[in-house]
Amino acid sequence: MNLAVSATEYISSVKNGDTTVEEFTAKTLEQISKHDSRLHAYLSVDDTSLDRARQIDKKIKAKEKVGAFYGMPISIKDNICIKDRKTTCASKMLQDFVAPYDATVVSKLKSQDAIFIGKTNLDEFAMGATTEFSAFGPSRNPWNPDYVPGGSSGGSAVSVSALECVASLGSDTGGSVRNPASFCSIVGLKPTYGLVSRYGLVSYSNSIEQIGPMGRRVEDVALVLNHIAGMDSNDNTTIDNKNQDYLSGIDAGIKGKKIGIISEMSKGQGLDKNVENAFWKAVSSFESLGAKIEEMSLDLVKFTVATYYVLTTAEAGSNLSRYDNLRYGYELDLEGYEFKSYISKARRNFGPEVTRRMILGGFVPSAGFAGKYLLKALKVKSKLKKEISSAFKKFDFLISPTVPILPFKLGEKINDPLAMYLADINTITANLTGIPAISVPFEIHNGLPIGIQIHADMLQDARLLQAAYALQSMTKLRGAPL
Amino acid sequence: MHLVTKEDIEHVAKLMRIDIGDANEHFERIQKILNYFDSLDKADVESEDIPLHEVSISDLRDDKYIPFESKLISNLKSYKGSFVRAPKMS
Repeated sequence: MNLAVSATEYISSVKNGDTTVEEFTAKTLEQISKHDSRLHAYLSVDDTSLDRARQIDKKIKAKEKVGAFYGMPISIKDNICIKDRKTTCASKMLQDFVAPYDATVVSKLKSQDAIFIGKTNLDEFAMGATTEFSAFGPSRNPWNPDYVPGGSSGGSAVSVSALECVASLGSDTGGSVRNPASFCSIVGLKPTYGLVSRYGLVSYSNSIEQIGPMGRRVEDVALVLNHIAGMDSNDNTTIDNKNQDYLSGIDAGIKGKKIGIISEMSKGQGLDKNVENAFWKAVSSFESLGAKIEEMSLDLVKFTVATYYVLTTAEAGSNLSRYDNLRYGYELDLEGYEFKSYISKARRNFGPEVTRRMILGGFVPSAGFAGKYLLKALKVKSKLKKEISSAFKKFDFLISPTVPILPFKLGEKINDPLAMYLADINTITANLTGIPAISVPFEIHNGLPIGIQIHADMLQDARLLQAAYALQSMTKLRGAPL
Repeated sequence: MHLVTKEDIEHVAKLMRIDIGDANEHFERIQKILNYFDSLDKADVESEDIPLHEVSISDLRDDKYIPFESKLISNLKSYKGSFVRAPKMS
């Protein structure tokens, strides 16, 4: 059986008996052992997957009730907890940490008979845009292994793109699902803030991060969203979505819909010419689908990168203070240290980007600086939210390129953190305002993928998926050259 | 433009309880990033309110004890009986 199937194709071929769960899982594991030593999408692969596949096959054969995923292999970013499995966050600080419980998204997918084939690579604690800050080495882009796959959910994007699973869960704090989706030519959704429970996601910046599905097709992402969204008493920011079905009506089209082009994200000096050209082709595609397009402006976008990094470093500084290396962590002898010096010493095992953000996270909320940085950033966030909600009074969707630049080579930006931060400019508005946004693969330029980003208003995730599906129908992209 | 000194960085690192070794390693990059953050001075947001996330008490989950079935403590790396071993407090 072909591994390059959509989730819905996989499920129907298992239902029809064209393939067994065991057969597909074995083939997926084979694919991983063939390609992953080079691509490094996975930090760990679950060797009990085949047993689990056989159990599900048995249930199917016995005509017992089977969950919606029928044993579909899904990969999980390694900052999301699966009980009794390692959750390292790609950090030496958690290299031996075994999660004692399941994240809510994991227990939901488990109950629907998904198979968690492995845990995927990321930038340490999801801080980065390339996976180069993983303590266990970077992932590589399946389209060209000299190039970064994007990040921080780079391993998830690579695993989907390289047919090492059917779908994946990533987390998106400033574009960490959409950026690697764009760089690896797959679909990545950042749902409305609160639509998906964060319980069991290792905290980085709680007020803006969301878990999001990644897949090769828009409908796959919708299917996964169907099963992970909804209220959770363990996360009081979750919203009741009334069990909305994001798949039904996904082909409704966008005829007559009003689309705004966000000028600040779609032109200017930071934008690569090839990305710009692809974007305008996408605009024509939307027009030919019957949408009405107009340029519009979001004045505050120019402040979003500074705002985002002030807010996230402040939250990260607080969240990461729990890593004292006492209850879990790596081997570091206690002898000869007093309490505080031991903790400081142990934290030398944080990588350079995490260390940097800890320091920044100490600065921005501190006495003397809070008014200048943290409080200002919170105010920008507040005003941006108003700007966005008035924009959605006029438009159904807002579009931009997902990332203003093409995938770049490993090592190219690692020594220039600010340049790396600036690559987030198009994705962070959705995080700061809570609205849903999706990246849809649109073009391959000289062997490098370009994605288009669509935003919708709060809780309009279903309409957003319809627009993404419509755009997808205008493209015919091949898979990654493996 | 705000000039952050190496001493500032050392002081903050100490407050954050993180041993950064040589502050020089971080100095230039942190300074560059903070200078970039200074662009927020140009944002016209003085009259804005700080957003709050409000949760009413009735929306909180019940305050009740839920026993954790698995052996949490056996996953800890340095424990004796039901105690975690830690360095001495000065």
